[in-house]
Amino acid sequence: MMLEKPPILPNITRLTVLQGQFRVSAGPRVELSTVLGSCVATCLFDPEAEVGGMNHFLLSEPPASHASEEVDVHYGVYLMEMLINEMLANGARKSRLRAHLYGGANIRAGMAQIGTANANFARVFLERERIQLVREDMGGVSARRVDFRPASGLVRCRTVSSTEAPDTKPIPRAVPSRGEVELF
Amino acid sequence: MTISTRILTVDDSASMRALLNHALTSNGFEVAQADDGVAALEWLAVNEVDVVITDINMPRLDGFGLIEQVRGGTRHRDRPILVLTTESSDEKKNRARRAGATGWIVKPFDTEKLVAAVRRVAH
Repeated sequence: MMLEKPPILPNITRLTVLQGQFRVSAGPRVELSTVLGSCVATCLFDPEAEVGGMNHFLLSEPPASHASEEVDVHYGVYLMEMLINEMLANGARKSRLRAHLYGGANIRAGMAQIGTANANFARVFLERERIQLVREDMGGVSARRVDFRPASGLVRCRTVSSTEAPDTKPIPRAVPSRGEVELF
Repeated sequence: MTISTRILTVDDSASMRALLNHALTSNGFEVAQADDGVAALEWLAVNEVDVVITDINMPRLDGFGLIEQVRGGTRHRDRPILVLTTESSDEKKNRARRAGATGWIVKPFDTEKLVAAVRRVAH
């Protein structure tokens, strides 16, 4: 099970996970870090394989012409799958995965509640994939900084000034290279 | 009377299967789902299909194994099989081609491109 407040260790290699990225590591001196506003970060950990990973995503809103107010979850599903596949490639098993979710704040008043939509998507995804959610710290109006030690599962989440959070913009719905088809 | 195209989607992610199911059924296709290659072969043993859409990374039997077994069998050996995957390496794409895949689609999928590909191979 993941614990909080990782101890300060010397010679830590800190890797930043930016929006749209994911990283997996079993390195005992690796720390994965990110700052979140309305984005959500998923931390996955397999306690038996001692490997962990983090992704950082922001779902896009549908185009104005779209009748539904639902966000486009394609990119979220994609980044979740990329993270899970990389975990499995590094010795993890899906049935052993434990998850933490962070972020999903609605920082800027007047904007669409995209943080809430991100948080809801992440919860539903984990439930649908039967991945155990052991802790979440989502919602509210504050930015968060997350530091995660992937080899031990230790994680620290603290609120930070919203000026530290990246100026999040939803991923454009139509990525030029998205879904490229090649028929043989 | 028009008979709808029957598609089997094979993916171990329930979320991805749900996305595919929504995208394909809303475009008039009839969709069945399997969560890995073994479940797909069991379904194919007793059902008819027009197009198979399969992921690569799956437990028990992956997409490569599924394609090889379908091509090596008799019942559905000529059916089009589209690979839908997060994999981007040419090595894996070529492996799928050698195994007998009909096409290669990169996730996250675009519904219009996916539907166009299905219609093109299903005729």
